[in-house]
Amino acid sequence: MSVADGLKAAALLFVAAIAQVSIFSQVDIFGGVPQLVLVTLVAVALLRGSVAGAIAGFFAGLIVDTATLGQLGLTSLVLTVSGYWIGRYGETTGRDRGHAPFSSVAVITVLYAFGVLLVHFMLGEPAPAGSVVEALLPTIVMNLILTAPVYALVRVLLRPRDRTDYATEVQLLG
Amino acid sequence: MVRRVVLAVLVIVALGLLTISFRSPTSGALHDAQSYGASALRPFQVAGVRVARPFRDAYNYVDSLSKAKTDLAKYKKLTRNYRAQALLNAGAVQKLSDLERLMRYESGPTYPKDFRAVNAAVLSFPSGSDSEQIVIDAGTTLGVRLNTPVVSADGLVGRVTTPGRTTSVVTLLTDPDSAVPARDLKTRVSGLIRHGQGGTLILDRVPKNEIVNKGDWIVTRGTVDRRYPDEYPYGIPIGRVVAVGTSDIASFLTVQVQPLADVDSLDSVAALVPKGK
Repeated sequence: MSVADGLKAAALLFVAAIAQVSIFSQVDIFGGVPQLVLVTLVAVALLRGSVAGAIAGFFAGLIVDTATLGQLGLTSLVLTVSGYWIGRYGETTGRDRGHAPFSSVAVITVLYAFGVLLVHFMLGEPAPAGSVVEALLPTIVMNLILTAPVYALVRVLLRPRDRTDYATEVQLLG
Repeated sequence: MVRRVVLAVLVIVALGLLTISFRSPTSGALHDAQSYGASALRPFQVAGVRVARPFRDAYNYVDSLSKAKTDLAKYKKLTRNYRAQALLNAGAVQKLSDLERLMRYESGPTYPKDFRAVNAAVLSFPSGSDSEQIVIDAGTTLGVRLNTPVVSADGLVGRVTTPGRTTSVVTLLTDPDSAVPARDLKTRVSGLIRHGQGGTLILDRVPKNEIVNKGDWIVTRGTVDRRYPDEYPYGIPIGRVVAVGTSDIASFLTVQVQPLADVDSLDSVAALVPKGK
Protein backbone atom coordinates (compact mmCIF):
# COMPACT_ATOMS: atom_id res chain seq x y z
CA MET A 1 0.00 0.00 0.00
CA SER A 2 1.52 3.27 -1.15
CA VAL A 3 1.67 6.43 0.89
CA ALA A 4 -0.87 8.05 -1.39
CA ASP A 5 -3.25 5.15 -0.87
CA GLY A 6 -2.66 5.36 2.86
CA LEU A 7 -3.50 9.05 2.90
CA LYS A 8 -6.61 8.50 0.81
CA ALA A 9 -7.74 5.67 3.06
CA ALA A 10 -7.03 7.78 6.14
CA ALA A 11 -9.02 10.69 4.72
CA LEU A 12 -11.88 8.39 3.80
CA LEU A 13 -12.00 6.82 7.22
CA PHE A 14 -11.65 10.17 8.95
CA VAL A 15 -14.62 11.56 7.04
CA ALA A 16 -16.55 8.34 7.63
CA ALA A 17 -15.80 8.42 11.36
CA ILE A 18 -16.80 12.07 11.72
CA ALA A 19 -19.97 11.45 9.70
CA GLN A 20 -20.66 8.42 11.85
CA VAL A 21 -20.47 10.25 15.19
CA SER A 22 -22.11 13.49 14.04
CA ILE A 23 -24.74 12.33 11.56
CA PHE A 24 -25.34 8.59 11.29
CA SER A 25 -25.35 7.89 15.03
CA GLN A 26 -28.52 9.95 15.29
CA VAL A 27 -30.33 8.01 12.59
CA ASP A 28 -32.47 5.39 14.26
CA ILE A 29 -34.67 3.24 12.07
CA PHE A 30 -36.43 0.37 13.86
CA GLY A 31 -33.67 0.47 16.48
CA GLY A 32 -30.88 0.08 13.92
CA VAL A 33 -28.13 2.60 13.25
CA PRO A 34 -26.29 2.69 9.90
CA GLN A 35 -22.54 2.13 10.39
CA LEU A 36 -20.77 4.12 7.71
CA VAL A 37 -17.36 3.69 9.32
CA LEU A 38 -17.74 -0.10 9.35
CA VAL A 39 -18.83 -0.21 5.71
CA THR A 40 -15.93 2.05 4.69
CA LEU A 41 -13.51 -0.11 6.63
CA VAL A 42 -14.80 -3.23 4.86
CA ALA A 43 -14.30 -1.55 1.49
CA VAL A 44 -10.75 -0.44 2.35
CA ALA A 45 -9.84 -3.83 3.79
CA LEU A 46 -11.24 -5.71 0.80
CA LEU A 47 -9.30 -3.52 -1.63
CA ARG A 48 -6.05 -3.20 0.32
CA GLY A 49 -5.71 -6.36 2.37
CA SER A 50 -5.40 -7.43 5.97
CA VAL A 51 -2.56 -5.18 7.16
CA ALA A 52 -4.19 -2.08 5.72
CA GLY A 53 -7.51 -3.30 7.10
CA ALA A 54 -6.12 -3.73 10.60
CA ILE A 55 -4.38 -0.35 10.61
CA ALA A 56 -7.46 1.34 9.09
CA GLY A 57 -9.67 -0.28 11.72
CA PHE A 58 -7.41 0.87 14.53
CA PHE A 59 -7.25 4.39 13.14
CA ALA A 60 -11.02 4.65 12.55
CA GLY A 61 -11.76 3.26 16.01
CA LEU A 62 -9.40 5.75 17.59
CA ILE A 63 -11.19 8.65 15.91
CA VAL A 64 -14.61 7.35 16.91
CA ASP A 65 -13.58 6.80 20.52
CA THR A 66 -11.86 10.18 20.71
CA ALA A 67 -14.75 12.07 19.15
CA THR A 68 -17.32 10.45 21.40
CA LEU A 69 -15.07 10.56 24.48
CA GLY A 70 -15.82 6.89 24.85
CA GLN A 71 -13.72 4.07 26.22
CA LEU A 72 -10.49 4.70 24.32
CA GLY A 73 -9.31 1.55 22.54
CA LEU A 74 -12.63 -0.28 22.63
CA THR A 75 -13.79 0.49 19.10
CA SER A 76 -10.18 0.32 17.91
CA LEU A 77 -9.83 -3.21 19.23
CA VAL A 78 -12.97 -4.52 17.54
CA LEU A 79 -12.42 -2.64 14.27
CA THR A 80 -8.78 -3.76 14.10
CA VAL A 81 -9.77 -7.41 14.25
CA SER A 82 -12.67 -6.77 11.85
CA GLY A 83 -10.43 -5.00 9.33
CA TYR A 84 -7.87 -7.76 9.54
CA TRP A 85 -10.39 -10.56 8.96
CA ILE A 86 -12.06 -8.80 6.04
CA GLY A 87 -8.65 -8.01 4.59
CA ARG A 88 -7.70 -11.69 4.76
CA TYR A 89 -10.98 -12.62 3.13
CA GLY A 90 -10.30 -10.11 0.34
CA GLU A 91 -6.80 -11.44 -0.16
CA THR A 92 -7.95 -15.05 -0.44
CA THR A 93 -11.44 -16.32 -1.21
CA GLY A 94 -13.16 -12.98 -1.51
CA ARG A 95 -11.17 -11.57 -4.43
CA ASP A 96 -12.96 -11.15 -7.76
CA ARG A 97 -16.27 -12.05 -6.17
CA GLY A 98 -19.02 -9.52 -6.81
CA HIS A 99 -20.88 -10.31 -3.64
CA ALA A 100 -17.79 -10.04 -1.44
CA PRO A 101 -18.51 -6.47 -0.18
CA PHE A 102 -22.11 -7.33 0.68
CA SER A 103 -21.43 -10.64 2.37
CA SER A 104 -18.48 -9.08 4.22
CA VAL A 105 -20.60 -6.18 5.46
CA ALA A 106 -23.40 -8.50 6.59
CA VAL A 107 -21.02 -10.81 8.45
CA ILE A 108 -18.88 -8.09 9.96
CA THR A 109 -21.95 -6.17 11.14
CA VAL A 110 -22.94 -9.18 13.22
CA LEU A 111 -19.39 -9.84 14.46
CA TYR A 112 -18.84 -6.18 15.27
CA ALA A 113 -22.09 -6.00 17.27
CA PHE A 114 -21.26 -9.08 19.29
CA GLY A 115 -17.60 -8.07 19.57
CA VAL A 116 -18.49 -4.74 21.17
CA LEU A 117 -21.01 -6.55 23.36
CA LEU A 118 -18.35 -9.02 24.45
CA VAL A 119 -15.82 -6.31 25.34
CA HIS A 120 -18.45 -4.42 27.34
CA PHE A 121 -19.36 -7.65 29.10
CA MET A 122 -15.72 -8.39 29.93
CA LEU A 123 -15.28 -4.87 31.30
CA GLY A 124 -18.24 -5.45 33.57
CA GLU A 125 -20.35 -2.82 31.86
CA PRO A 126 -24.01 -3.18 30.87
CA ALA A 127 -24.24 -5.51 27.85
CA PRO A 128 -27.88 -5.71 26.74
CA ALA A 129 -27.77 -8.60 24.28
CA GLY A 130 -31.52 -8.45 23.66
CA SER A 131 -31.52 -4.92 22.31
CA VAL A 132 -28.39 -5.64 20.25
CA VAL A 133 -30.08 -8.65 18.63
CA GLU A 134 -33.27 -6.68 18.01
CA ALA A 135 -31.34 -3.91 16.27
CA LEU A 136 -29.18 -6.28 14.27
CA LEU A 137 -31.47 -6.90 11.30
CA PRO A 138 -32.28 -3.24 10.56
CA THR A 139 -28.61 -2.38 11.02
CA ILE A 140 -27.57 -5.07 8.53
CA VAL A 141 -30.16 -3.84 6.03
CA MET A 142 -29.00 -0.22 6.33
CA ASN A 143 -25.36 -1.21 6.09
CA LEU A 144 -26.10 -3.25 2.97
CA ILE A 145 -27.84 -0.24 1.47
CA LEU A 146 -24.72 1.84 2.16
CA THR A 147 -22.38 -0.82 0.80
CA ALA A 148 -22.84 -0.29 -2.93
CA PRO A 149 -22.21 3.50 -3.04
CA VAL A 150 -19.46 3.41 -0.40
CA TYR A 151 -17.64 0.53 -2.06
CA ALA A 152 -17.92 2.21 -5.45
CA LEU A 153 -16.46 5.45 -4.03
CA VAL A 154 -13.62 3.67 -2.24
CA ARG A 155 -12.93 1.64 -5.36
CA VAL A 156 -12.57 4.85 -7.34
CA LEU A 157 -10.12 6.29 -4.80
CA LEU A 158 -8.24 3.07 -4.12
CA ARG A 159 -7.84 1.22 -7.38
CA PRO A 160 -7.94 -2.57 -7.04
CA ARG A 161 -4.47 -4.07 -6.94
CA ASP A 162 -2.95 -6.20 -9.67
CA ARG A 163 -3.37 -9.94 -9.46
CA THR A 164 0.29 -10.30 -8.64
CA ASP A 165 -0.23 -8.39 -5.43
CA TYR A 166 -2.53 -11.04 -4.04
CA ALA A 167 -1.33 -14.15 -2.29
CA THR A 168 -0.44 -16.78 -4.82
CA GLU A 169 -0.05 -19.69 -2.47
CA VAL A 170 -1.67 -20.85 0.72
CA GLN A 171 -0.17 -22.75 3.61
CA LEU A 172 -2.14 -25.78 4.69
CA LEU A 173 -2.38 -26.08 8.43
CA GLY A 174 -2.84 -29.26 10.42
CA MET B 1 4.17 -13.20 9.35
CA VAL B 2 4.29 -9.41 9.04
CA ARG B 3 0.55 -9.11 9.00
CA ARG B 4 0.22 -11.15 12.17
CA VAL B 5 2.80 -9.01 13.90
CA VAL B 6 0.99 -5.86 12.81
CA LEU B 7 -2.30 -7.30 14.04
CA ALA B 8 -0.77 -8.34 17.34
CA VAL B 9 0.82 -4.95 17.89
CA LEU B 10 -2.38 -3.10 17.09
CA VAL B 11 -4.45 -5.37 19.32
CA ILE B 12 -1.97 -4.97 22.17
CA VAL B 13 -1.97 -1.18 21.75
CA ALA B 14 -5.76 -1.15 21.67
CA LEU B 15 -5.92 -3.32 24.77
CA GLY B 16 -3.40 -1.05 26.45
CA LEU B 17 -5.46 2.02 25.62
CA LEU B 18 -8.55 0.25 26.79
CA THR B 19 -6.95 -0.77 30.05
CA ILE B 20 -5.60 2.69 30.82
CA SER B 21 -8.85 4.32 29.79
CA PHE B 22 -10.84 1.87 31.89
CA ARG B 23 -8.66 2.34 34.98
CA SER B 24 -8.69 6.15 34.89
CA PRO B 25 -11.73 7.23 32.86
CA THR B 26 -11.81 10.84 34.09
CA SER B 27 -8.19 11.76 34.67
CA GLY B 28 -4.68 11.05 33.52
CA ALA B 29 -2.57 11.81 30.50
CA LEU B 30 -4.57 9.58 28.19
CA HIS B 31 -7.81 11.24 29.22
CA ASP B 32 -6.27 14.65 28.64
CA ALA B 33 -5.00 13.55 25.24
CA GLN B 34 -8.47 12.23 24.40
CA SER B 35 -10.01 15.53 25.48
CA TYR B 36 -7.60 17.46 23.26
CA GLY B 37 -8.35 15.09 20.42
CA ALA B 38 -12.08 15.53 20.93
CA SER B 39 -11.63 19.31 20.93
CA ALA B 40 -9.66 19.07 17.70
CA LEU B 41 -12.36 16.92 16.12
CA ARG B 42 -15.19 19.15 17.34
CA PRO B 43 -15.08 21.57 14.35
CA PHE B 44 -15.34 18.66 11.95
CA GLN B 45 -18.27 17.25 13.90
CA VAL B 46 -19.97 20.65 13.91
CA ALA B 47 -19.39 20.94 10.17
CA GLY B 48 -20.84 17.47 9.72
CA VAL B 49 -23.89 18.38 11.77
CA ARG B 50 -24.39 21.57 9.76
CA VAL B 51 -24.08 19.76 6.46
CA ALA B 52 -26.54 17.15 7.60
CA ARG B 53 -28.98 19.62 9.17
CA PRO B 54 -31.04 20.40 6.03
CA PHE B 55 -31.40 16.69 5.30
CA ARG B 56 -32.27 15.97 8.90
CA ASP B 57 -34.79 18.81 8.92
CA ALA B 58 -36.35 17.47 5.74
CA TYR B 59 -36.48 13.98 7.23
CA ASN B 60 -37.95 15.30 10.48
CA TYR B 61 -40.53 17.29 8.52
CA VAL B 62 -41.63 14.24 6.53
CA ASP B 63 -41.50 12.08 9.63
CA SER B 64 -43.54 14.50 11.73
CA LEU B 65 -46.01 14.90 8.87
CA SER B 66 -46.39 11.16 8.70
CA LYS B 67 -46.75 10.94 12.47
CA ALA B 68 -49.29 13.78 12.43
CA LYS B 69 -51.34 11.91 9.84
CA THR B 70 -51.16 8.74 11.89
CA ASP B 71 -52.10 10.68 15.03
CA LEU B 72 -54.97 12.34 13.21
CA ALA B 73 -56.36 8.98 12.12
CA LYS B 74 -55.87 7.64 15.65
CA TYR B 75 -57.58 10.61 17.28
CA LYS B 76 -60.42 10.50 14.76
CA LYS B 77 -60.98 6.88 15.69
CA LEU B 78 -60.82 7.77 19.38
CA THR B 79 -63.32 10.58 18.83
CA ARG B 80 -65.68 8.17 17.07
CA ASN B 81 -65.38 5.72 19.94
CA TYR B 82 -65.94 8.43 22.56
CA ARG B 83 -68.93 9.76 20.64
CA ALA B 84 -70.43 6.28 20.46
CA GLN B 85 -69.73 5.83 24.17
CA ALA B 86 -71.31 9.20 24.95
CA LEU B 87 -74.42 8.20 23.00
CA LEU B 88 -74.55 4.91 24.88
CA ASN B 89 -74.20 6.78 28.17
CA ALA B 90 -76.90 9.24 27.21
CA GLY B 91 -79.15 6.30 26.29
CA ALA B 92 -78.37 4.65 29.62
CA VAL B 93 -79.18 7.86 31.49
CA GLN B 94 -82.45 8.12 29.62
CA LYS B 95 -83.24 4.48 30.41
CA LEU B 96 -82.40 5.08 34.04
CA SER B 97 -84.74 8.03 34.09
CA ASP B 98 -87.52 5.92 32.56
CA LEU B 99 -86.90 3.15 35.08
CA GLU B 100 -87.02 5.63 37.95
CA ARG B 101 -90.33 6.98 36.68
CA LEU B 102 -91.61 3.43 36.32
CA MET B 103 -90.53 2.65 39.88
CA ARG B 104 -92.30 5.78 41.13
CA TYR B 105 -95.44 4.73 39.26
CA GLU B 106 -95.25 1.23 40.72
CA SER B 107 -95.03 2.62 44.24
CA GLY B 108 -97.60 5.36 43.57
CA PRO B 109 -101.26 5.49 44.56
CA THR B 110 -102.63 4.75 41.06
CA TYR B 111 -100.82 1.44 40.80
CA PRO B 112 -103.23 -1.52 41.06
CA LYS B 113 -102.50 -3.20 44.38
CA ASP B 114 -103.51 -6.72 43.36
CA PHE B 115 -100.81 -6.88 40.74
CA ARG B 116 -97.08 -7.21 40.87
CA ALA B 117 -94.91 -5.54 38.27
CA VAL B 118 -92.60 -7.53 36.04
CA ASN B 119 -90.23 -4.91 34.70
CA ALA B 120 -89.00 -5.53 31.18
CA ALA B 121 -86.91 -3.84 28.55
CA VAL B 122 -88.38 -3.20 25.13
CA LEU B 123 -86.48 -5.25 22.57
CA SER B 124 -88.14 -4.07 19.38
CA PHE B 125 -90.46 -1.28 18.35
CA PRO B 126 -93.46 -0.96 16.05
CA SER B 127 -92.32 -1.07 12.45
CA GLY B 128 -95.31 -1.72 10.24
CA SER B 129 -98.45 0.30 9.71
CA ASP B 130 -100.73 -2.74 9.89
CA SER B 131 -99.96 -3.76 13.43
CA GLU B 132 -98.61 -1.87 16.42
CA GLN B 133 -96.64 -4.32 18.49
CA ILE B 134 -93.50 -4.38 20.59
CA VAL B 135 -91.42 -7.21 21.98
CA ILE B 136 -90.42 -7.19 25.65
CA ASP B 137 -87.85 -9.34 27.44
CA ALA B 138 -90.23 -10.97 29.89
CA GLY B 139 -92.14 -14.16 29.35
CA THR B 140 -94.01 -16.99 30.99
CA THR B 141 -91.05 -17.81 33.24
CA LEU B 142 -91.73 -14.53 35.04
CA GLY B 143 -95.47 -15.05 35.17
CA VAL B 144 -96.46 -13.19 32.02
CA ARG B 145 -99.53 -14.68 30.39
CA LEU B 146 -101.82 -13.98 27.46
CA ASN B 147 -103.64 -10.64 27.87
CA THR B 148 -101.35 -9.51 30.70
CA PRO B 149 -101.63 -5.68 30.79
CA VAL B 150 -98.46 -3.76 30.08
CA VAL B 151 -97.88 -0.26 31.40
CA SER B 152 -95.21 2.40 31.27
CA ALA B 153 -94.57 5.14 33.81
CA ASP B 154 -97.09 7.30 31.94
CA GLY B 155 -99.92 4.85 31.63
CA LEU B 156 -101.33 1.89 29.78
CA VAL B 157 -99.33 0.65 26.82
CA GLY B 158 -101.18 -2.47 25.70
CA ARG B 159 -101.50 -6.17 26.46
CA VAL B 160 -99.53 -9.32 25.85
CA THR B 161 -100.87 -11.13 22.79
CA THR B 162 -98.10 -13.70 22.27
CA PRO B 163 -96.35 -14.81 25.46
CA GLY B 164 -93.07 -16.65 25.03
CA ARG B 165 -90.77 -18.25 27.56
CA THR B 166 -88.47 -15.28 27.96
CA THR B 167 -89.92 -12.70 25.58
CA SER B 168 -93.45 -11.64 24.74
CA VAL B 169 -95.24 -9.71 22.03
CA VAL B 170 -97.30 -6.78 23.28
CA THR B 171 -100.07 -5.33 21.14
CA LEU B 172 -100.20 -1.61 21.74
CA LEU B 173 -103.24 0.56 22.37
CA THR B 174 -102.67 2.14 19.00
CA ASP B 175 -103.09 -1.17 17.17
CA PRO B 176 -106.23 -1.27 14.95
CA ASP B 177 -107.40 -4.47 16.66
CA SER B 178 -106.97 -3.14 20.18
CA ALA B 179 -110.01 -2.42 22.35
CA VAL B 180 -109.81 -1.48 26.01
CA PRO B 181 -112.81 -0.86 28.28
CA ALA B 182 -112.30 2.60 29.76
CA ARG B 183 -114.09 5.33 31.62
CA ASP B 184 -114.00 9.05 32.13
CA LEU B 185 -112.51 9.55 35.56
CA LYS B 186 -114.62 12.63 36.23
CA THR B 187 -118.02 11.86 34.69
CA ARG B 188 -117.67 8.05 35.05
CA VAL B 189 -118.88 7.55 31.51
CA SER B 190 -117.72 4.23 30.08
CA GLY B 191 -116.61 3.42 26.58
CA LEU B 192 -114.14 1.45 24.53
CA ILE B 193 -110.70 2.83 23.73
CA ARG B 194 -109.84 2.14 20.12
CA HIS B 195 -107.25 3.17 17.60
CA GLY B 196 -107.86 6.63 16.17
CA GLN B 197 -106.36 8.87 13.51
CA GLY B 198 -102.81 10.22 13.63
CA GLY B 199 -101.58 8.26 16.62
CA THR B 200 -104.51 9.27 18.80
CA LEU B 201 -107.20 7.11 20.38
CA ILE B 202 -110.95 7.38 20.45
CA LEU B 203 -113.30 6.58 23.29
CA ASP B 204 -115.91 4.66 21.33
CA ARG B 205 -119.37 3.54 22.27
CA VAL B 206 -120.26 6.58 24.34
CA PRO B 207 -123.96 7.38 23.93
CA LYS B 208 -124.81 10.89 22.77
CA ASN B 209 -126.67 11.65 25.95
CA GLU B 210 -123.59 11.13 28.11
CA ILE B 211 -121.26 13.94 29.08
CA VAL B 212 -117.56 13.87 28.32
CA ASN B 213 -115.52 17.05 28.61
CA LYS B 214 -112.34 18.11 26.94
CA GLY B 215 -109.43 17.65 29.32
CA ASP B 216 -110.99 14.75 31.23
CA TRP B 217 -108.73 11.87 32.22
CA ILE B 218 -109.52 8.45 30.76
CA VAL B 219 -108.55 5.36 32.78
CA THR B 220 -109.18 1.64 32.50
CA ARG B 221 -112.64 0.62 33.64
CA GLY B 222 -111.69 -2.59 35.41
CA THR B 223 -114.02 -5.41 36.32
CA VAL B 224 -117.64 -4.33 36.67
CA ASP B 225 -119.26 -7.74 36.96
CA ARG B 226 -117.32 -10.56 38.63
CA ARG B 227 -118.80 -13.05 36.23
CA TYR B 228 -117.01 -11.23 33.45
CA PRO B 229 -113.65 -10.16 34.86
CA ASP B 230 -111.79 -7.58 32.83
CA GLU B 231 -108.19 -8.15 31.77
CA TYR B 232 -107.23 -4.65 32.87
CA PRO B 233 -107.41 -3.55 36.51
CA TYR B 234 -109.25 -0.38 37.32
CA GLY B 235 -107.58 3.02 37.22
CA ILE B 236 -104.62 2.68 34.89
CA PRO B 237 -104.26 6.06 33.13
CA ILE B 238 -104.81 5.85 29.38
CA GLY B 239 -105.01 9.40 28.12
CA ARG B 240 -106.69 12.75 28.13
CA VAL B 241 -109.69 13.92 26.10
CA VAL B 242 -108.57 16.41 23.47
CA ALA B 243 -111.80 16.77 21.47
CA VAL B 244 -115.47 15.81 21.79
CA GLY B 245 -117.78 15.86 18.81
CA THR B 246 -121.13 14.58 17.61
CA SER B 247 -123.32 14.52 14.53
CA ASP B 248 -127.02 14.19 13.91
CA ILE B 249 -126.83 10.79 12.25
CA ALA B 250 -124.27 9.20 14.65
CA SER B 251 -125.44 7.18 17.65
CA PHE B 252 -122.31 7.84 19.72
CA LEU B 253 -120.13 10.73 20.67
CA THR B 254 -116.78 11.14 18.93
CA VAL B 255 -114.30 11.43 21.78
CA GLN B 256 -110.71 11.89 20.76
CA VAL B 257 -108.13 10.87 23.37
CA GLN B 258 -104.44 11.69 23.43
CA PRO B 259 -102.59 8.67 24.88
CA LEU B 260 -100.30 9.36 27.81
CA ALA B 261 -97.75 6.71 26.95
CA ASP B 262 -95.45 7.56 24.05
CA VAL B 263 -95.45 4.15 22.42
CA ASP B 264 -92.87 5.14 19.83
CA SER B 265 -90.09 5.68 22.36
CA LEU B 266 -90.56 3.10 25.05
CA ASP B 267 -87.44 1.76 26.68
CA SER B 268 -88.81 -0.09 29.64
CA VAL B 269 -92.27 -1.23 30.64
CA ALA B 270 -93.90 -3.28 33.34
CA ALA B 271 -96.16 -6.25 32.84
CA LEU B 272 -98.89 -6.43 35.49
CA VAL B 273 -99.10 -9.98 36.77
CA PRO B 274 -101.87 -10.75 39.27
CA LYS B 275 -100.48 -11.50 42.71
CA GLY B 276 -100.64 -15.13 43.75
CA LYS B 277 -100.31 -16.41 40.17
